Formats: sequence, C-alpha cells, structure tokens
Amino acid sequence: MEIIGDDKKIRALFSETRFADEQAAPSFTAAWSRAQSRALKPRRAFNLSLAVATALLVCAFASLALWSRYQTGTTLHTASVDLRAVLDLRANIESQTVQPVDQSQKQPQRKTRRTLTAQRNALMLAANRKAEQKAEQEAKQLASWQSPTASLLSSSSDSLFKSLPQLNENSVELKSFLPKRENEKEK
Amino acid sequence: MNIAELKTELERLHSASFGWALSCCRRDATDAEEVLQTVYLKIFEGKAVFRGESSLKTWLFAVIRKTAATEYRRKLLRTLRLTADIDEVEHRSTYETQTASSERSEVQAHFQGALKTLPKRQREALHLVFYEDLSLREAADVMGISIGSARQHYERGKKKLRESLAKMEVGYGNNWGRQENPSAV
Repeated sequence: MEIIGDDKKIRALFSETRFADEQAAPSFTAAWSRAQSRALKPRRAFNLSLAVATALLVCAFASLALWSRYQTGTTLHTASVDLRAVLDLRANIESQTVQPVDQSQKQPQRKTRRTLTAQRNALMLAANRKAEQKAEQEAKQLASWQSPTASLLSSSSDSLFKSLPQLNENSVELKSFLPKRENEKEK
Repeated sequence: MNIAELKTELERLHSASFGWALSCCRRDATDAEEVLQTVYLKIFEGKAVFRGESSLKTWLFAVIRKTAATEYRRKLLRTLRLTADIDEVEHRSTYETQTASSERSEVQAHFQGALKTLPKRQREALHLVFYEDLSLREAADVMGISIGSARQHYERGKKKLRESLAKMEVGYGNNWGRQENPSAV
C-alpha cells in the first residue's frame, strides 16, 4: 500500500506547487483585456516574408521569360544565318564606301538607307530566282532520266505480248493466236 | 456557448490554466502569461472554437498545449536570428525572482528539479493527473495520445520521479527509495 502513500506524497507536492502558482498567477481581467487590445490592434500591413517570397517569384518568372525568349532568338538566328551572311557581306562592302555624315545631313542618310534596303531586297529576289531556276532544272533532269538497262528489256514481239485478242475479231484472225500443230500433222 | 458564457468559464479555470501553461513553458512565468494571452486572443478572434466534443477544461488545456509548443518554436527561431530583446530579458529576470520567492521551500525546489529531469510527456501526464486532478482519459485527450500511451507515460514518470526524489534525499521524513514489497499489494 506504500505506492498509494507515494501517490499521496506526490499529490501533496503538486498541490503545494499549485498553491504557489495560484498566488503568482496574473489576474484574469488583465490577461483578457490585454488579449482584447491585441485583437483590436491593427495588424502590420507589410509582411516582410510575404514580400520577399513575392519578389523571388517575380524574379523567377522574369528570368524564365528572358531565358525562353533568348532560346527562341538563337534558333531563328541559326535558321537565317546563311542568308544573313550573304546580305551582311554585301552590306559591309557598301557601308565601307559610305562616308560618315553629319547630324544636319539626315535626309541623304535616310535615302542611302532606303537604297541599301532596296538593294538588299533585290539581291534577295535574285537569289530566290536563281534557287528556283536551279530547282526546275533538277526536276527536269529527274523526269527525263532513263535506266541504262531499259533497252535490253524491249523485243520485236512486245506488241503481241502487250495486246489482247478482242471478241469481235474474225475467227481467222483469232487463229493466228492458236498453235499450228494440227496443220503440221496434216502435212 | 457564446463569448460571455465562455469568458465566465475561462475566468473560473484561469488559475488552473496558468498552472498548465507554466508546466508547458518549463515554469517560465512570462512565457506562460504570453501563451495564456495568445490563447484568449485565439478564442476571442474565433480561431479556437469550442464545439463541445469534450469538456471545456480538456479543450482549453489542449489549446494551451498547442499554443505553448508554437510559441516555443517561434522563440527558438528568434534565438537563432540573434534578435533577443534586452527589455524582454530584463522583464523576465524580475519575474523569475518573483517565482523563485514563491518556490522558496527547499523541498519544492528539489521537487521542481526532479520534475525538470523528466521527459516532457511524462511531466505533462503527471501534471495533468496530480496537479489538475484529471483522469487518465482526459489527460490523454489533452495530450492528443491514446489512453494506453498516457498510462505508460504516467507510470514511467511516477517511477522516475520517485527515483530522482530518493536520490536527492527528499521526502517528508519518508524513505522514497524503498524496496517494493510484492506481498504488500
């Protein structure tokens, strides 16, 4: 029964603690009013962690957008690199001949730009025409191509093999298709 | 239950709530008071709602326990950020002297020391049963565990408490480190 006695002693120690706590406990009204005042206090509008999270999110989206744009730019660049190389070469040659112009001479500069663009367009058109002509020639060559062994397959009796006897033909004419064995026996 | 009725009930349970909050905050009176205020705030704002699924005391103690755990986590984060408020420290030191005076009894000091050596769950189980006079079922509800686990914590805690009290040679003229007599039960 000593265990029960121990329980009583523990309980006594706890009740002593309880008595001390009750004396030290703050009043309920004070605690409740403080809680109420905390509830009525306006909350801080600016939440730092939320702002940081939003900024990070915006940065991530912006970098993603830039990256995707850069990616598409490089693919287009590689596709048009050949044509541009030709055009740029021509433009470089022409720009070397063009003298630097003052601010007051803007009108002639524009004109030269226009002519340059017109020349570029003309060059592009010429290049396109050439490419089309080349493609046409290649197509013609392909159409007229013949196998070198095709002549070996043709013979004099091709017309017989390729034609069929018709029903409305004369019987005498039909005989020409039959074998001549009976005639040979008669002989 | 409306807020006025709830307020009356909370007032009735206030000292017991403070005791439980003290236990949850490792006997820190400032933390316990803050936890209690936060609990009242939660109730006032409707964040903690009593639905009558258990007794009011059990529900309130469970809310206190959860709030204390959250506050402890926040306090740890604040400590990690190294932004300890000096005023808060000063205020705490004055409060601690008050509580120390209340625990002036040597026996009590030993007893509190022995309680602090216990694991949290065991300490909670003992507190709820001996201090708050709750049944093991109610203690289990407050702690959010099964009654079997609560009983385990209670028994182990009691055993450890007895052992540590015996080591400290505390005991109202009794021998705490007695040998159990199997024929006695």
